[in-house]
Amino acid sequence: MPTILVLDDSATMVMSLSHILKGAGYDVETGLNGREGITKLADGLKPNVILTDLNMPELDGIGFIKEARRMSSVRNTPIIVLTTESGGRKRDEARAAGASGWLTKPAEPNQLLSVVKQLCPR
Amino acid sequence: MADIETPPESNEQLVCAILAEQVSTLRDRMDAAQAFDLLWRTSALLSWVSGLLGDLGRHSGHTNPVQERERTEALTEIAEIRRALDELAFFQAQRQDFAKQIADCVVTALERMAVAQMPAGMHFSSSDLADLYVSAEQRQLHEAVVERLRG
Repeated sequence: MPTILVLDDSATMVMSLSHILKGAGYDVETGLNGREGITKLADGLKPNVILTDLNMPELDGIGFIKEARRMSSVRNTPIIVLTTESGGRKRDEARAAGASGWLTKPAEPNQLLSVVKQLCPR
Repeated sequence: MADIETPPESNEQLVCAILAEQVSTLRDRMDAAQAFDLLWRTSALLSWVSGLLGDLGRHSGHTNPVQERERTEALTEIAEIRRALDELAFFQAQRQDFAKQIADCVVTALERMAVAQMPAGMHFSSSDLADLYVSAEQRQLHEAVVERLRG
């Protein structure tokens, strides 16, 4: 089963995203900030897609993407940014760091699943 | 006993500290984890019931056409309610997240204004506030207020 790594500092968002993704047949790993995400990747997790928020404590989304892109195991893994930010500057920053796509909250479940399915068919 | 005169600056800082505490309490009360949990459990239960109805249909051999039609209608209705519940939970979770981020921003600004060692009225500028924003919606609101106050 394909695995999605979800990173968001809101526990409710993490649970909500997990529910939607598990319901669609994906395995889900989670973290409450970028640092937790990096630790999981360093421990050997190889997700098929990564969904990350931008504004998180300890290590934010941009920092996470930069660090993750230096790891050979996820160098080419699609990373989707899911955030309340919709500004062009932040988007450019995320793209330059290595983000593959962008979804602005509030997003609909179908919108999210269609992006994930496109990148990672079950 | 004579009243002690408090300099206006201290008053302003005290008000900011109290407001920061009040908004912080409000933010903590925004947690609707139990409601979300109930929504997800209901959705999972409906999924289970849907599976059972499917199994029943396969084992019954479709002998009773009225029951079979009702079973099919129930499955359609369950799927529709599940979809709506999932959508509602996801949307509300995002709204709550956004509301908490705005509250975080207000608390941080008030806390800084409460401790700043500067003359009254100069503790915190609107651009300091803008630096705390995490969404375009906050920035648009900020711009709208600035425009309105400038007339």
